Amino acid sequence: MTQSPRKTSARKSLSASFVARVGLMAALALIFSYVEAIIPYNPGVPGIKLGIANVVTVVALYKFGARDAAAVSIIRVVLAGLLFNGLFGMLYALAGAVVSLAGMILLNKTGLFSVTGVSMAAGVLHNLGQLLVAAALIEDLRIFFYFPVLMFSGIAAGILVGIASALVLRVLR
Amino acid sequence: MKQFIRKADIILFIVLVIVGLAASAALTLSHGEAGSSAKVIIESGGDLYARYPLAEDRTVVVPAPKQKAVDAPEADPDEAPSAQYDYYNVVVISGGTVSVTEASCKNQVCVKHGAISGPGESIVCLPNRLVVRIDNGSEKGGGYDSVTS
Repeated sequence: MTQSPRKTSARKSLSASFVARVGLMAALALIFSYVEAIIPYNPGVPGIKLGIANVVTVVALYKFGARDAAAVSIIRVVLAGLLFNGLFGMLYALAGAVVSLAGMILLNKTGLFSVTGVSMAAGVLHNLGQLLVAAALIEDLRIFFYFPVLMFSGIAAGILVGIASALVLRVLR
Repeated sequence: MKQFIRKADIILFIVLVIVGLAASAALTLSHGEAGSSAKVIIESGGDLYARYPLAEDRTVVVPAPKQKAVDAPEADPDEAPSAQYDYYNVVVISGGTVSVTEASCKNQVCVKHGAISGPGESIVCLPNRLVVRIDNGSEKGGGYDSVTS
């Protein structure tokens, strides 16, 4: 169910359809990032958010494979960082994105988990990656006081994103 | 897409929740415990006398201001503080806790206060105008929020 169209197309590094597809999905994800950035809510702890843009990443992973998902996610994070979140925000988000992408791809490879489970793990890993970068930047391990909060918010956000992605995938297939 | 939620998901969920709960339990248990950068701040007569890392064990003899007014030689570690000073406190930093083990004063409140270990805690000796407190060591702006954008 994962790599349907890409297997047939020649494994060139940057086929036109890949570029077009990724560009489209990155644009969509960027809009989600924007929508989320303009929702005025402040949970008090930096790093807690829904991450609806990750619906696109998850869908890309299941529909087109790891390469698309990675491309969409990285492009989205860099652009959203430059546009909305600032450089530090981008740094955190980039770390989170890389860690959660790796986790998603691995969990997806095992074939044991549903979309929801993969997304839940991704949410947690995303927050963990951010926390590691924050700890490295601030050079203060006491920031791990945030860990449980970010853990649970990551689980919740991941599950919600996963359910949304599963619904989208159900329609898309 | 076979099912919405599979068995492995639930197992993963439980594992993650347990890790989260364990982490918060560990943090709660160690709540108030000073971080590795915590400092012991000793103030004498209202002025900063010395600042030491909480993690390093040491014994400090602090002469009181009224002692200093007379003569304040450097504390000789080989001699008993009571033999050197009339007014003094002995502050001991050991194993992440701070206590005043000896004081020249009559009421000995600071000695009876016992050991402190958490940030923000303090021992005060009024007769010798001594304050020993633990600071969490984040003097650069204080909060995490100074870097998050």
